[in-house]
Amino acid sequence: MKRIITAVLCAAMLLMLASCGGSKADYVFLDETLGTETYAIGFRLGDEELAKTVSGAVKALVLNGKYAEIGEKYPDIKDYLSLTAENIDQSDIPEQGSGDSSYTFKHGFDLDYPPYSYLKDDGSVGGFDVELCQAVCEYLGWGYEAVPFNWDAKDMELSAGSCDCIWSGFTKEGREDMYTWGIAYSNNTQCILVAADSGITKLDDLAGKIVGVQTATSAADMLEDSAADLAATFGDLKIYETYTIAFNDLKAGAIDAIAIDVTAGTYLINGGAK
Amino acid sequence: MTITTMLSTMGVGMLRSCAIFFLTLLFSLPLGMVVMLLRRSKIKPVQWIMKIYIAIMRGTPLMLQLLAWYFGPYYLFEMPIRGYRFPAIIIGFSMNYAAYFAEIYRGGMDSIPIGQHEAATVLGYSKTQTFFRIILPQVVKTILPSVTNEIITLVKDTSLAFTLAYNEMFSLAKQIAASQTSFMPFIIAGVFYFIANYAVAFGMERVEKAFDYYK
Repeated sequence: MKRIITAVLCAAMLLMLASCGGSKADYVFLDETLGTETYAIGFRLGDEELAKTVSGAVKALVLNGKYAEIGEKYPDIKDYLSLTAENIDQSDIPEQGSGDSSYTFKHGFDLDYPPYSYLKDDGSVGGFDVELCQAVCEYLGWGYEAVPFNWDAKDMELSAGSCDCIWSGFTKEGREDMYTWGIAYSNNTQCILVAADSGITKLDDLAGKIVGVQTATSAADMLEDSAADLAATFGDLKIYETYTIAFNDLKAGAIDAIAIDVTAGTYLINGGAK
Repeated sequence: MTITTMLSTMGVGMLRSCAIFFLTLLFSLPLGMVVMLLRRSKIKPVQWIMKIYIAIMRGTPLMLQLLAWYFGPYYLFEMPIRGYRFPAIIIGFSMNYAAYFAEIYRGGMDSIPIGQHEAATVLGYSKTQTFFRIILPQVVKTILPSVTNEIITLVKDTSLAFTLAYNEMFSLAKQIAASQTSFMPFIIAGVFYFIANYAVAFGMERVEKAFDYYK
């Protein structure tokens, strides 16, 4: 008897968790956007030399086609990758294998920022930024060490030296003076994601609506800064720990819209990590 | 951002944290008593259900339980959950803490020698009278230190409400720290938790003294 009750309760709980993946409705981005930004590699202030070497290696990977090859694996973001052989300046490119082979480059990133950096289905770390950084280390002959951190603690991690860079869909705008910046390698646009049948078609329609955003993201910063006037028209602005929960709330109809960058948003609509 | 602005922003969060704290205590302390009585029930199936309830509440992370309480009605029954956020948080916290309190109460109950029940029966006390007049006053006294522990944990656990986008104090601290690249909000948060817990410990010590009636 006891076993049966346990089994039934366990099954109910599993069912509940499993069903979280289901129900596919349509979600669309509004045509009007909140703004565009660039992703770049952030180094400690003063680490000019390291920034130059890593940026040079990224350029080398653009020239030898590796950058585009990795991009092909991430269809959600490949249209936003900004570097091509034509638009980069071909100065300061280090020779292949010219790095110190005893050096290990510590890549600091957020494990919850797909498709740039995330935990893959098989439990290993992956994402565009992770693969690109690994390719940079391979090109230079460095060792690679993954340092996944809590995004809130990124500045402490960087200044304490537990990682050498912040490279995880890291927005440069608004932080220009806070880091030594390496090359900008991707663009991104901050958008509003709504259910297709919500009747919301432009930013003005958001007046009085409940909008969700993930804490400490560019979208959240924009709603505080450049888009503060828009945010003031919202019925409520809900700040989430992760977009995953916000998207569940959107599916359940508890909120009306999500402010999110287009790549992460596309990733959510398409159903997450493959 | 000046410290004053930080404090006023975080002050709003502190009120929200306090709301979770007091409402959870209000519901979980009595609910724990009910769970304990059912857990000690003579009817076996009732005992089992309570055992399973306690096992699930203690055996899974509170964060997961909050998600289940909030999203459960929608995913299982397609119910609308707009506006259900705060109630879900209070239900989640209360149900979880009730399980812990129930076990603390049970420990207290078991510490009372069976002889006292027998003596009460001989003296003509009914079951209810025995429980409220003889057993409970002694139980309350013995379990107070453990209850204090649990209440202090609750103060710190309020930060888990951020899982459901409820902006309590610690989530605001994290947000300010990120946007200002400053460590200050964390220090303020630390001081707040410390003061709150010191107040809890101080208050509970007073309560313990008040119950110190056998000296």
